[in-house]
Amino acid sequence: MAGAFGQAMGETVVESKAGLGSERRASKVAEAIRAGEAFRAQVHPELADEPEILRADTFSLWYGEARALYDVTMKLPRGKVTALIGPSGCGKSTLLRAVNRMNDLVDGVRVEGEIRLEGESIYDPHVDVIELRKRLGMVFQKPNPFPMSIFENVVYPLRIDGERRKGVLAQACERALRQAALWDEVKDRLRESALGLSGGQQQRLCIARAIVADPEVLLLDEPCSALDPVATMRIEELISEIAERYTVLIVTHNMQQAARVSHFTAFMYLGRLVEYGPSEAVFSRPVLPETEQYVTGRFG
Amino acid sequence: MRETVPPTHERHKRRTPISAHGEPAVWVTAGALVLCLALILGLLVVIVWRGGSTFVVRPIQEVTLDDGTVFLGLPLESEDARDDADGGERRRYRVGNRDLGQNSFRWVNDADVASVEAPEDAAMVERREWGVFLGRIERVLIVRNMRYGPDDRRVADGERVTTDFGPATVVEVEAEGLEDGGARVREQLVLGAGQPDAREVFERVHPIVLERRAAIERLNSHRVPMLQERLARLEWKRRGIERRVTTEDDGPALPAWAWTVTLLATAVTGVGALRIWRMVPRGGAARGLRALGAAAGVAFAVGLLGVVTEHPWSGDSISPDRAAALIADIDERSAELSSELGRVLDEINTRRDRLERVRVEIVEPTGGRFSPLSVSEPDAPMAVAGVVRVVHANELGVLGKLRVYLARWWEFLSERPRANGAEGGVLPVIMGTVTLTLLLTIAVVPLGVVSALYLREYARQGLVTSLIRIAINNLAGVPSIVYGMFGLGFFCYGLGGWVDAGPVDASPRGFWWGMIGLTAVIVLGGVVSVMFAARRPGRRATVVNRVAGAAAWVFWLSAAGLAVFLIANTPYFDGWFTEKLPERPTFGGRGILWASLTLALLTLPVVIVATEEAISAVPNSIREGSIASGASRWQTIRRVVLPGALPGIMTGAILAMARGAGEVAPLMLVGAVNFTQASPVSLDAPFLHGDRTFMHLGFHIYNLGFQSPDSQATEPLVWTTTLLLVAIVVSLNLAAVSIRAKLRGKHGAAI
Repeated sequence: MAGAFGQAMGETVVESKAGLGSERRASKVAEAIRAGEAFRAQVHPELADEPEILRADTFSLWYGEARALYDVTMKLPRGKVTALIGPSGCGKSTLLRAVNRMNDLVDGVRVEGEIRLEGESIYDPHVDVIELRKRLGMVFQKPNPFPMSIFENVVYPLRIDGERRKGVLAQACERALRQAALWDEVKDRLRESALGLSGGQQQRLCIARAIVADPEVLLLDEPCSALDPVATMRIEELISEIAERYTVLIVTHNMQQAARVSHFTAFMYLGRLVEYGPSEAVFSRPVLPETEQYVTGRFG
Repeated sequence: MRETVPPTHERHKRRTPISAHGEPAVWVTAGALVLCLALILGLLVVIVWRGGSTFVVRPIQEVTLDDGTVFLGLPLESEDARDDADGGERRRYRVGNRDLGQNSFRWVNDADVASVEAPEDAAMVERREWGVFLGRIERVLIVRNMRYGPDDRRVADGERVTTDFGPATVVEVEAEGLEDGGARVREQLVLGAGQPDAREVFERVHPIVLERRAAIERLNSHRVPMLQERLARLEWKRRGIERRVTTEDDGPALPAWAWTVTLLATAVTGVGALRIWRMVPRGGAARGLRALGAAAGVAFAVGLLGVVTEHPWSGDSISPDRAAALIADIDERSAELSSELGRVLDEINTRRDRLERVRVEIVEPTGGRFSPLSVSEPDAPMAVAGVVRVVHANELGVLGKLRVYLARWWEFLSERPRANGAEGGVLPVIMGTVTLTLLLTIAVVPLGVVSALYLREYARQGLVTSLIRIAINNLAGVPSIVYGMFGLGFFCYGLGGWVDAGPVDASPRGFWWGMIGLTAVIVLGGVVSVMFAARRPGRRATVVNRVAGAAAWVFWLSAAGLAVFLIANTPYFDGWFTEKLPERPTFGGRGILWASLTLALLTLPVVIVATEEAISAVPNSIREGSIASGASRWQTIRRVVLPGALPGIMTGAILAMARGAGEVAPLMLVGAVNFTQASPVSLDAPFLHGDRTFMHLGFHIYNLGFQSPDSQATEPLVWTTTLLLVAIVVSLNLAAVSIRAKLRGKHGAAI
C-alpha cells in the first residue's frame, strides 16, 4: 500500500558501502562487524542519570532483504538535544523515520525489537499510527512547504485535527512562528503563498509547522543540509532556543553543528550504534578510535 | 613517413559527410513543423473564412443574357467555362426562387451576358420557407373574401378604405352573384398608393406583422405543448390506476406478527451493533469484537431491508370503487383541458388566418411572377408574415451591410432552425450541445478523478496496476461508434428499460431473499478477511495475511456481482414509467442522459490519465510532510495532493469536455436527432429532461451537409456551423489554459 510514497523514499534507504574502503587503517569495530563478532555500543555513564522519553530496545530494521539497523539500543534523554552522526548510509535517517513510523510507507519494511515512547511500544498493533505521529514533529532535509498560504501551512496540523476557531488558529500560528523566529519576517504576508519564501525561511516555516501542535519529540532530518551558511546559523540558533521546550533528535552530517547544538551525540556506523555520550565527551575524548577518526574527519 | 601523413590536398578531400552536418536535419525538422502549422492554420483560415462569409451581404445583379432573359442573382465564384471554346469564364449566381421551380444556383457563361446592372430597388427577401427570393416589392395588400347580403353595401372597385395598416384601395378580383341577390367577392385592399410606395408601406407593415406573428407563435410553442403534456400525464395516470386495479395482489409475504418480530429484532441488532462498535478500541486488535460488530451491522441492514419491503400494508392495488372515483376525476379534468386546448388552437388558427391575409407581391423579372403563398397556390402572393428580412443590398452602405451581417449572425445564434435547419438559427442545437457537455462532465470528472486517486495513491504499484493502465490507454483508442453501440445496448435498452419497467423477469421472492442472505454472509466474510489481511506493523505478511487478502478480493468481488444481480432482479420494483409503455418509453430509449453517460465513458480515459499525471507531478516531499504532521492518507490527498494537482485535473476535465463536445458518431446511436421541438432543457418542470432527445452541433453539420433537400444552398450554413463548433471547442481549450495559469499563479510555481 505504498503507492507514490514508496518510490521516492526507497532512494534514501540504499545501504551505502562507500565508507568502507576509505578507512584502511582498520577500525576494530569494522573488523568486528565484518567478522560477525558480537559488538556492544560504548554508552557513556553520564546518560544513565538522564530521564528518558524515547527508547529503542535491540531494534532492527530490514528493507526487504537488506538490513539497515542492527540491534540498536539507545535512549533519548527528555528535554535534551541529541544528535545522530555517522557516515552516509549508516542508518541514522532510518532510525529517525522508524520513530514516527514513516517507514511504514515503504513497501517491504520489517522490524524487530521495540521502540518505546513514554514506555509504550510504538509498533504494537494497538497503536494508532496517526495519533503517534501527532505526538512527534518532523522536519525534513529539504524544506517541504505545502502549496498554500503561510498561515495555512503553519496551522495545518491543527486543521487536520478539525480545529476551526479562527482565534485559536491565529494564536497558535503566531506562537509557532515566533518560536521559529519567522514571525517578524512574515507577519504582514501570512495570506501569501509559502512557496514565495526563501529556502531558509521555508525551513523555519516547516519547523513552525512541526511545533505548532506541541509535539513531545521533534525529529530533525538534516534540516540544514539544503541551506546556505547564514540560514544554517539561524536554524541552529533556533534549535538551541526550542530545545528548552522540546526533546530534539537531530540527524546531521555536520560535525560542528552536532557539537554546537546538541547535548548528546550518538555515532552510528554500518547500521549499529557505536558510541553514545555527551557531545562534549564524544567530540573531545571519544572512547573508541573509530569515533575519533570520524569526528576529526579522517574517514566518513 | 610519406605514406602515413597524406599530403595536405588529400587530407582536405576527407570532407565531413553530409549526415554529420547539422543543417539538413534542421531544415527537415523545421520543414515538418512548418508543414504542420500550415495545415492547422489552413484549416482554421478555411473554416473562419467560409463560415464567416455566409452572412455577408452580396450585391444583387440584374443580368440580361443575349437571348433576352433577365434574372436577378447574387454573384458568387467564377471559373473557366467548360463549354466555351474561347476560353471565357463562367460565373455562379445564387438565384433563389426555388418555389418557382428553378434551382437555387445557376452557372452563366460570361460570353452569354449582354448586360449586368445593379438596380437599387432589387431586394433579397429571406423567407421562412423555400429560401431566398430575389425580386422587387410591387404591392402590399390585404386579401379578403367577402360575402355580401342583398341589402349590404358593397365596396366598389377602386374605392378608398381604411384598414389596420392605413388607407388602401379596393381592387375587386372575382365576384360571383348569389341566388339571394347578394354576392361573394374576393377583394384585394392595396395599401398605400400601390407600387410607388410599396417599399415604404412594407417597411411599416412588416414589423407589426412580425410582432403579431411572434405572439401567435408564443402561444403555439408554449401554451399548446404544456396543455398537451398535461393531458398526456393525466392519461398515464389513468392507465397507472387501471393497472393497479387489475394487478393481482400477492399481498405482503410476512404476516403482521412476523413483521413486528422482524422489526423488533432489527432494532435490537442495530442498537447492539452500535454498542459493540463503541467497545472496539482504536488500533488493530480486537478482531473478534470487530467481526461481531460487523455481523450485527450486516444483520441490521438485512433486517431493515426486510422491514421496508415487506411491511403489512404493502401491495399497491386499489379497490375498484376508489379507482372508478379517481378515473372519473381524471376524465373530468382531462375534458376541461381538452376543451381549453381546443379553444387555444382555435384562437391560434383564427389569428393566423387573419394575419395571413396581409400579403406582399414580390416580383421577379424573368417571367414577372411573384413569390407565391405556397407552391400549390402560385396565384396568391406570399404572406408578409412569411418574410424574415428584406435586404436592398445595392443601396446599402458599408454600415448598413454590417448591420445586416450582424443581424443575420444574431438570428443564427438566437433562433430555432426552420426548414430542416436550412434556415433560421441553431439556438436549440447549441443548447443541446452545451447541456450534453455539462452532463458528461458532471458524470466523468468525479468518477475519473476518484479512480485515478486510487490507482496512484492507494494501490500497490505492480503488475496489476500496470495492466489496468494499459487497459485504460487502450480504452482511449476504441472507435467511438463502439461506445455508441454499447451505450445503446446497455444504457438505453438495459438500464433505461429497467428504470421504465423494472426487472424483465424478477426473481421469486423466496429465492431473492435467499440471495440476500448469501450476500450478507459474503459481505461479512469480506469484512473479516480484510481484518485478517492487515499485517502487524513492521512485520512481514504472514500466510494468514496473504490468504485473507486473496479471500477479501474474492469476497468483495462476488459481493459486488451479487449486488448487481439483486438490484437487477428485485421483485420489489416494477418500473417508474410503466404506464407509458409500450408505445412511449421514457428512459428506455435514446435520450440526452444516456448520451452523456456514453460520452462520459468515452472520455473517462482522458480524465484518468490527466489526473494521474497531475497527481504524480505533486512532489513526494509534501506528501511526507503531511503524513508526518499526523494527517491520514485521505487528509493528505484532500488537503495537499488534490489542490496541488487541481490545475492538471481541470485541464483533463476540459479536454474531456472538448472531446465530448466534438463527438458525433456515438451520439447518432444514443440520442442526437436532426430536429426536436421538445428541448432537453426547458421552462417546465423538472427543467432538465434526461429522457428527451436533443440536437447537437456535430450531428447538425452532418444533417445540413448530407440530409438536406437543397444541399447546395445549405453548404454555407455547414461552414458557419462548423465555425461555431470549432469556436466552442477552442474556447473550452483556452479556458483550460487560463484556469491552469490562474491556479498555478495561486499556488506558486512549484507545481
